[in-house]
Amino acid sequence: MSRLEVSIRRRLPGFDLDVEWSAGDGVAALFGPSGAGKTLTLQCLAGLLRPDAGRIVVDGRVFFDSAAGVDLPVQRRRVGYVFQGYALFPHLSVAENIGFGLRSRPRAERARRTAEVVERLGLGGLEGRRPAELSGGQRQRVALGRALAMDPALLLLDEPLSALDQPLRQALRDDLRAVLDDWRTAAVVVTHDFTEAYRLGDHLVVYDAGRVIQAAPRAELLWQPASEAVARIIGIRNILSGTVVKATPDRIQLRWRGQVLEAVNSPSRAYLPPPDSPLAFFIRPEYVRLIRKDRGAPDPQHHMNLMSGVVVGDADFGTTWSLRIRLDAPGPPAQGDYDLEVEVPRLVHEILEIDRDRRWQLSIHRGSIHVLPG
Amino acid sequence: MSAESVDALLLSVRVAVLATALNALLGIPLAWLLARRSFRGKTLVDLLVTLPLVLPPTVTGYYLIVLLGRRGWLGAPLHALTGWTVTFTWHAAVVAATVMALPLLVRTARAAIESVDRDLEKAAWTLGRPEWRTALEVTLPLARNGILAGLVLAFARALGEFGATLMLAGNIPGRTTTVPLAIYTAVQTGETADAVVLVAALTALSCAVLVVAGRLGARAS
Repeated sequence: MSRLEVSIRRRLPGFDLDVEWSAGDGVAALFGPSGAGKTLTLQCLAGLLRPDAGRIVVDGRVFFDSAAGVDLPVQRRRVGYVFQGYALFPHLSVAENIGFGLRSRPRAERARRTAEVVERLGLGGLEGRRPAELSGGQRQRVALGRALAMDPALLLLDEPLSALDQPLRQALRDDLRAVLDDWRTAAVVVTHDFTEAYRLGDHLVVYDAGRVIQAAPRAELLWQPASEAVARIIGIRNILSGTVVKATPDRIQLRWRGQVLEAVNSPSRAYLPPPDSPLAFFIRPEYVRLIRKDRGAPDPQHHMNLMSGVVVGDADFGTTWSLRIRLDAPGPPAQGDYDLEVEVPRLVHEILEIDRDRRWQLSIHRGSIHVLPG
Repeated sequence: MSAESVDALLLSVRVAVLATALNALLGIPLAWLLARRSFRGKTLVDLLVTLPLVLPPTVTGYYLIVLLGRRGWLGAPLHALTGWTVTFTWHAAVVAATVMALPLLVRTARAAIESVDRDLEKAAWTLGRPEWRTALEVTLPLARNGILAGLVLAFARALGEFGATLMLAGNIPGRTTTVPLAIYTAVQTGETADAVVLVAALTALSCAVLVVAGRLGARAS
């Protein structure tokens, strides 16, 4: 059952938001480039911005329905909003910030609930501090605590990690995920960082220029992007285009750079383009295998989609190396001066002495060539 | 110090304190409205409030007579109803000082309110606060130093008000003669000693006010 149904149309000068998506249990992550309409969507959910038309339903409660003339004011939606930069009240203490949304409750109950939230978020001992006296991570927790204290019907987080420095960011991302799992409130996170969206969201909604271009469980999105545009926005590398040789419900053969590659057809939406039609596909750099030269000749049964080429560039990413490989094929390379990006673990790079030895044979399993719907 | 000088000093302080109180009562909500809401006639309200800052005080005083005098737009019905007219009473000095000081408070307070991060107000709304409670609990406390600085300026302006007061309240010794008017009268009549004392008193008071306003301004920024 979907807990969250969102359909919003809102026209702004020079921008047009028109989105529709739904999400079930867990966290929905709105992902996409800056200016795609993610924060506008959050503001509509919270009631800070009124859509021109649409419908917003949270756990069966109608927040907004233009057809029925329903528009619940922000104060009555009970939405916990964690702002980008947190928007903590600088003149109030940590405890007063966390208790701010509990005003309608009796004093004793308010104190009890505040203490509970402080305890649960590990803010003990900081109750009397002002926001200016807290670290970035502590501020994030106070902002979360303030939003969660009132038992929100929906928790909204706008770029919750962007105010933090890089090393802290990763640690707090996992921290935040733990808090979201712990409280189990329906939540929507906005981020322009795909790793963050993937780590925080169970369900990903990809935004681009005021539209949703795909909404799917996170694993599905990672392995079956709905289009080349989605693949590009989520940062997939080696997005290539070839032509169809033959398509069946389980396999697709395609021609690329003078050779025929075999790919597995998408199991969920078997895709049957006619022969000679153009076809976009992608190959994850970490799924390209280099063939070791000390193990005898490659076995075509075992090593499918065999190719050979030269390393024309490489970059050290610490734990991995990224190699740019130009294939032994006539015609211009597929991606500027190279055809494929290949990622190898540092250890492999050392053992195979890739810094010295530049000519390699490669193979790609048919299951690692992902066909993108046109 | 002569009895007249003491009277003038007491009257001036009383007028300035009341005018500042009226400024707080009118000016702070007005500053909030101008900073945070859009409504019909906002430009006109903004213009009317600011006008006394740029008009010669005597012109402002003239408008006040047109408005509040015995035959004024508001003054005539008031007189018909109660038989009372504000002109040439010490209340008129309060009215003149209030109108002349209002732009100083409204402009300073408005800038302070506008500098409060709007996300803080939105956060308060999501936490269940209606707009007016948000103003009282979040916006105004955070704009406090700017508002206090505005009130100090308003007080100083009210204390030194001359032209509009003379027009609306006249210069009746013991009743509407404030310090600036008393200084003018003393100089005109050659009572230099009285003038010097009052000039010194007003200068000292104004310096104190400026120091306080400067400190508040420094803390606000």
